[in-house]
Amino acid sequence: MHTCTTKGQEKSIHVPTSAFAKEVEKVEGGEAINKCIQCGICTASCVVANATDLYRPRRMIQKIILGLREEVLSSDQSWLCLNCRMCEERCQEGVSPAEIFLAVRTIAAREGHVPRVFKEAVKTVLEDGWMLKDAYTDFQEDEREDLGLNPELHMNNEFVGKLRKRYFERKKAAEESGS
Amino acid sequence: MDMLLYRGCTTPVRLPAYEAATIAVLEKLGVNVIELKDTNCCGAQYVESMDRMAFASMSGRILALAEREEKDILAICGACSGSLKTNKHFLDHDIRARDEVNSLLAEEGLKYSGKVRVRHLLQVLAEDIGFDKIERAVVKPYNGIKMAAHYGCHVTRPYEIVHVDDPENPTILDRLVEAVGGQAVDYPGKTRCCGGPMLAMDEDVATTIGLDKIDNVTKAGADGIVTACVFCDIQLTQVQFGGGTSDRQKIPVLPITQFLGPALGLDEDMLGVELNKIDPHSVIDCCGVSQ
Repeated sequence: MHTCTTKGQEKSIHVPTSAFAKEVEKVEGGEAINKCIQCGICTASCVVANATDLYRPRRMIQKIILGLREEVLSSDQSWLCLNCRMCEERCQEGVSPAEIFLAVRTIAAREGHVPRVFKEAVKTVLEDGWMLKDAYTDFQEDEREDLGLNPELHMNNEFVGKLRKRYFERKKAAEESGS
Repeated sequence: MDMLLYRGCTTPVRLPAYEAATIAVLEKLGVNVIELKDTNCCGAQYVESMDRMAFASMSGRILALAEREEKDILAICGACSGSLKTNKHFLDHDIRARDEVNSLLAEEGLKYSGKVRVRHLLQVLAEDIGFDKIERAVVKPYNGIKMAAHYGCHVTRPYEIVHVDDPENPTILDRLVEAVGGQAVDYPGKTRCCGGPMLAMDEDVATTIGLDKIDNVTKAGADGIVTACVFCDIQLTQVQFGGGTSDRQKIPVLPITQFLGPALGLDEDMLGVELNKIDPHSVIDCCGVSQ
């Protein structure tokens, strides 16, 4: 936010914001979106941006501030964040792009924009209670026994069934009925 | 001291040696490690990206299970410790969210009230046990072997929530290396991510990020890497086997407890050394020999 001083009083002359930025602001994690001054330290600190031209966190934040809702929600960009929080550690304005992208993902997920790998992983977790039930074979059980570890992992899948009903199926039903 | 080990999803299946080495080392140092049973995934990354309350509930249930046992949680995976701490912070500060989670937990007689702490392995080693006690327990010191520390993003960030070390200049792993006679080696990009979470979306980018770290560690002259997170350990190992890496000299990657074990006199078999994809003997054979 740019400010000027008039007769000793600080007055805001420009607050870059948009309806979409206000929407993001209301979602857990998105609160600080309008504090961004677009300095770019997030992109400069980002290992993903350093490894590929396809990802630019500052530009994503800019698009949210500018209100490019559909472009942001349908893009893979927010899902490319590693959530490593290096940008958050360095941001001098207290903005966490990692948190903002999680908020954007939450909104995108509500509207059905979810990359396939995320969809599949969530489906697995909500069915089995954990990620690697199918990967856990006799071979690994033997490894564990050889190491003196308990081969029985005691993972619970009943609780996630409740979460699926409460937080995921309800949403799906709402989507299908168009509400 | 009793601690409840929350294993998470990946360690017990993909890196059981880390679990075994951690139990062996902690027991040697006077911690009684008890497995936390009937758990579920902490919700990291995937559920976390889709629904805040479902994520909070998954971690909340694990915290409530520990509360029933009246003991603190030991987490050895960066993602698990990060999720549990983030959700503990969320549930401790948002009463409505806590009530909502508790309404689900009540069906199985569980309740979250915020009584137990989540301790990452590095906190247990550095704070609950302490460097002095670890130094005193060394029976076969390393001969100054050079080790590079990789901390793992969610182990140290965000500090306001996880309270581990200094996120800008972490030193716990380095001090542990030196406590058992190794030499900690600094390198550019020490606090950067291993690239692991990118495997789901873009494997090439994940590998570029991981290999960049391996290059920096190698240039700094390290003989090995120590880790404090199962994902980082697996990622920094796997990137050394990808396409175009056959002419590379592979550098051993060891979970910190597997590195500490031999110096404390623990047998290799208890540490799962033979399961490592990159033979760590060039590292662990350097303890108990003169410099």
